[in-house]
Amino acid sequence: MEVVIASSPVDAGIGCWDLHSGAEQLRYRSCTSTPHGLACVGQRFLASSQLRDSSSSSGSILYWSWSKPQVEVKSFPAEPIHPLVSNSDGMYIIGGGSSGAIYFWEVASGRLLKRWHAHYRAVTCLFLSDDESLLVSGAEDGCIRVWSLFMVFDDIGMEMAKNPYEYSFSEHTLRVTDMVSGYGGCNAIIVSASEDRTCKVWSLSRGKLLRSIDFPSIIEAVALDPGEHVFYAGARDGKIYIASINAETTSSNSYGKHIIGTLSDNSKGVTCLAFSKDGILLVSGSEDGTIRVWDAKTHNIVRIYRLAKGPVNNVLVVRRPLYSNRQTSENSHSSFSRRHAPLLPPPLGKYVNSTDENVDSGAVSVPQTPSSDIMDAPYLSYHVLTKQISELQVFFIFLS
Amino acid sequence: MARSKPSSSKKQPKRGVDFKKIKRKIGRKLPPPKNATNTEIKSKAIILPEQSVASERAGLAVSKKGLTLKELLQQTSHHNAKVRRDALTGIRDLVLKYPAELTLHKLAIIEKLRERISDEDKVVRETLYQLLKLVIFPALKKDVPGSLISLMMAYIFNGMTHLATDIRLMAFKFFDLVVQHYPSSFFMYAEKVLQNYEDILRKNHIYLQDRSKLKNALVGLVRCLSLLPCNRRTVDPSYGKNTETQGSLHAYELEVPKEHTDFSSIIKRLEDILPILVNCFQDFIPLVHPMSSLDAQSFDCMLYLLRSIDLSVKFFLYGIDKHQTDFGVTKPTYNEKDMPVWGEIATPVFLRKFLEVFPLNQLHNTSGKDEDKFFILNIEITEIFLHSNEWIFTSAILMERFLEFIENLLSGKIRFNSRSGKALQEKHLTSLLPFIPRLVSLVANTWKSRLLQAFTMAFKDCKPESTLNLAFLSAIEEMLLPSKRQGILLLDASEPEILDHQITWIRELPVLLVRLGDTLSSLSKVILHLLLRLGQYAPMNSSLAWEYDIMQHTLGEFYSMCLDDGSILYGPFMKLPKDCQELSVCCLYYFSSLDSLLLRSLVYCCLCDNLEPSVLFRIIDVLHSAYKIGHLQLVDLISFFVTLVARWKVLPGRLYTHVENAKKISNRETFKAITGAVCSCLRQMGDDALIFQIVQRVILDEIPLNPPIDNLCGMLRLLVILDSRPTKLSEQSIIILSNSISEYLIDAASYIPENGDEVTDSNQISICQYYLVPCFFLFDRSDKLLNLVLDLMGSSIGEDNSSLACNHDTQHTLDLSSRIVAVVSILLYMHQDIKIRRRLSSCKGEITRILQKMRLQLMQSSNEMGNTLEERHKIQFSFDRLKIAAGQLNCWDADELKIISLFE
Repeated sequence: MEVVIASSPVDAGIGCWDLHSGAEQLRYRSCTSTPHGLACVGQRFLASSQLRDSSSSSGSILYWSWSKPQVEVKSFPAEPIHPLVSNSDGMYIIGGGSSGAIYFWEVASGRLLKRWHAHYRAVTCLFLSDDESLLVSGAEDGCIRVWSLFMVFDDIGMEMAKNPYEYSFSEHTLRVTDMVSGYGGCNAIIVSASEDRTCKVWSLSRGKLLRSIDFPSIIEAVALDPGEHVFYAGARDGKIYIASINAETTSSNSYGKHIIGTLSDNSKGVTCLAFSKDGILLVSGSEDGTIRVWDAKTHNIVRIYRLAKGPVNNVLVVRRPLYSNRQTSENSHSSFSRRHAPLLPPPLGKYVNSTDENVDSGAVSVPQTPSSDIMDAPYLSYHVLTKQISELQVFFIFLS
Repeated sequence: MARSKPSSSKKQPKRGVDFKKIKRKIGRKLPPPKNATNTEIKSKAIILPEQSVASERAGLAVSKKGLTLKELLQQTSHHNAKVRRDALTGIRDLVLKYPAELTLHKLAIIEKLRERISDEDKVVRETLYQLLKLVIFPALKKDVPGSLISLMMAYIFNGMTHLATDIRLMAFKFFDLVVQHYPSSFFMYAEKVLQNYEDILRKNHIYLQDRSKLKNALVGLVRCLSLLPCNRRTVDPSYGKNTETQGSLHAYELEVPKEHTDFSSIIKRLEDILPILVNCFQDFIPLVHPMSSLDAQSFDCMLYLLRSIDLSVKFFLYGIDKHQTDFGVTKPTYNEKDMPVWGEIATPVFLRKFLEVFPLNQLHNTSGKDEDKFFILNIEITEIFLHSNEWIFTSAILMERFLEFIENLLSGKIRFNSRSGKALQEKHLTSLLPFIPRLVSLVANTWKSRLLQAFTMAFKDCKPESTLNLAFLSAIEEMLLPSKRQGILLLDASEPEILDHQITWIRELPVLLVRLGDTLSSLSKVILHLLLRLGQYAPMNSSLAWEYDIMQHTLGEFYSMCLDDGSILYGPFMKLPKDCQELSVCCLYYFSSLDSLLLRSLVYCCLCDNLEPSVLFRIIDVLHSAYKIGHLQLVDLISFFVTLVARWKVLPGRLYTHVENAKKISNRETFKAITGAVCSCLRQMGDDALIFQIVQRVILDEIPLNPPIDNLCGMLRLLVILDSRPTKLSEQSIIILSNSISEYLIDAASYIPENGDEVTDSNQISICQYYLVPCFFLFDRSDKLLNLVLDLMGSSIGEDNSSLACNHDTQHTLDLSSRIVAVVSILLYMHQDIKIRRRLSSCKGEITRILQKMRLQLMQSSNEMGNTLEERHKIQFSFDRLKIAAGQLNCWDADELKIISLFE
């Protein structure tokens, strides 16, 4: 079942609607999410980083399971986390902190595997490339950095390399508001939006700026058409601009170069955008607390949901497993549902453990092919290796 | 040739033998005999080029001497040198006169001319050189097939190996010419050419006598070497770059990779050539030292030699560097086959030896000119030293010598004596400055501070318009910020001394910006970019970030300054091009707490008519964003917004869109857009009630200043947008507001169309609605306000207008009759609105009072002589209309109506 989930910076909970039927599902309570701070971890449960008043030094990340409206797990990282992202199978959660650090947690154990200093200012958005080997982060200072997850965990390699990141794009002058990537893993294009009223298209393979498009207003959110012909840019003036990537554009029109049209509903500013899996329905969240579903082909509004009085700042389209649906319908059999309720993992750790496990990750010699499944290999292989070495040593002692 | 006349004389001897004699009269011509052969020959068609006369070649291109191209080309291989030379000059004339000839016959021309490259005669070669340089190459610039170059090259190589030295050297000059026009040709023949250079330099002792020739050859070498790739230090290539190249991003690209050449062969050649260059240079040194003066030719030779050494060293470094970046690790792998890295052991030895000569001493010479020459040479050597610094382990003494030289250069202890010295010094300093950051980061502490000291001094002394500033700025950027490629800081800012210098530079930047004004916008752009980077990259809570914050005090002057007498002096911001303005606005975002003084100077800029509206909107955007991340106080931002709305000058464009005041109308549109932008910002700020309180307070401070109608309207809009129903306005503010709103409404009444049913200008209606709607909202939310306003309106028509006039400026003061008309039309307009009509019905007392007042006025005016009949009529008419409306309101009973009608 494909559902739209949305959250707001004011306490309105996480709304959840069936994308196709429009029926509202369970509303998950007490969530004041940060921009880009809502993630669905491996279709198993929801996680959201919370806005905190500036006085508190630690941040907060909450988990909800699909079946219960209450918060189930609370964790308190060392600093406020703004954006939150998870990989597709829900093994890891990555968060960007307000000091510019990026946190990398293992979901199953809750351990903080890595924390590294990524930006000079707060991280504003994060995403993983579709093959999940590259992490792209945008910051308040307008800087966009591309990290290879493989390199991030290779401590020796990091020391040797001139720079820990793959690319650092600093052409944006103000805060990066949103980013989206196309298909093709490390050969994809990425589109970034910034408060400097531009959207920029970058090539990940060549590491350079391909195009910069000026908009009449600040762009808060971008979404890429699945065919990568155009991208949609939700602006603060309430319009969703359509900018062409792949078409030859006419020299000028009423909005500016490369902008070929708008979706407009005279609403307040658009804050977030998401595409459904079929690539036809475009979901937009607005300052006025509503969520609109557009048909991207006909440019008409299909549906409007209402979340809260305050603004919406996160919209996701996710696939929700069916079993959780069954649970809600068969709530009477409490014992049954409890047995089937997916147990949520423990809270996330606050610090990188300075015990032996941490040393492990650095000392492992990992194979030279950059692939994402390496990430979980080191912990096992190191132990195996050390065991073998010690066995060999014993063996040699025996011989001599 | 022959005509018929001589034929008659031929016949004479035969006469008498076969035919009888015919008598003829003298002087009489006989008709030709019947059997006479017509020997006439028409020879028109045959034209031999050698002998034809000028008239016959009208269609052909000829030179001054009347020779065609073909003839001229033939003559170039004439055995007489003078003829050859003339032919070349002839070709030049012809080509200049008929450029089409060249494009048509370029292959033939080049084919013939190339033979002259190794001509024995010096003058001929020189003429050929000039011909190629001035005429043929520039004309062929656009389309040059590779075949043409290869045609030339065969003969050039031939010349390079010629026995005669003159010809050899000249051949290099020709090659230089080719490279100059077609740089890519160097890479095609690089190996062979370098081989030839090597040969010629190896035998340099032969040419020592003829230095000018050697110089020419060296110029060519320098040019070739400068084509080799090296690590270019540019100021900042990342911005200002044009990305608007492709229409379609996923389209198939036709570009072929540019790095086509395989450098390995060139590297091998250069390895051979470098020691020879060094030797050659060292050969010059004994010539130089004993003499007190250095002649120009050998100086040039030395200079070019040094340049070539410099360039080849740079190229090697590039190779190493590229190698490193390819693999992403710091340690170059030397045993790699495809990239022969320069042998670490052999080459540095002779280079070190070469560098030992360094201070080419000027102890024993006195003349200023010579000193300059030595100085230039020394700078060149220093440059080589700095390039090679990374992989030569120099002795400390030598290092000292270099460092001292650099320090002296920076601090200006060494100066050029000649008149053009100033410019020259700047040029050389520009070439050295990029090395300073690396040098400073590497040398020992004592030298570090000395160098920094000298650097800072030099930067401070530098004139704003000097070209040196660009080099200084890029060096400063490198020393202040983490470098773009490596992401690490070159200098450790925790050391207090270094920090001191850094702070000095930062403080100098805004001053420089202000001093520059709008004279050099490109330099201003670089400075602003540096400031922006500083704001972005300065670590949070560090002293650099702190310094950046402090900078806003000096930066205020950049925007505008309020002088003591109240007038405003606009800073360079207003005059700079738009991209600079954009950058400077972005800088505001990164101040961790924006100062209210800076905001004030910003407001002055915003209120200036000359500022582009788009920049104004950017400022609003950026300030709002800065507020969002907590860099700006809420109160400051709100007062900024309100001031903007209250003071922005709307040009009083009246109702109708004439052509000449179209601009004025658009000005009002801009103001509407500003109000809209401010409103949307205010609504996004969060807690409406709190913001409303602040906005209300600030607006109430502004209102007593009697702002123009448009600004008041804008402020009312701000209030309306934040207010809710019932109103949150306090008692006191309602009283203050009612005062100004009553005046405001009377002013706005002039925009109300005369009769509702009449077709009026749609523009006028929209303006009228624009003015009145915010008031209607307020009335709808607060009955009290409506009562007060009606009251005030009533009293204003009752009183003598002189008492009111003292409160308001003349613009607001209307004479009594038009005031009455205005009040009535406002009331009628309100009456048309359903919502307000409901409200009005609760204010019957006020309306009755107004009617009574009008009645009174009518009676008074009938007694007075002052009022004209027309005015009286107008008042009467309004009175009637209002009476009907009041009746429709149905809000009073018959008694009251009677009372009113009693007055009549």
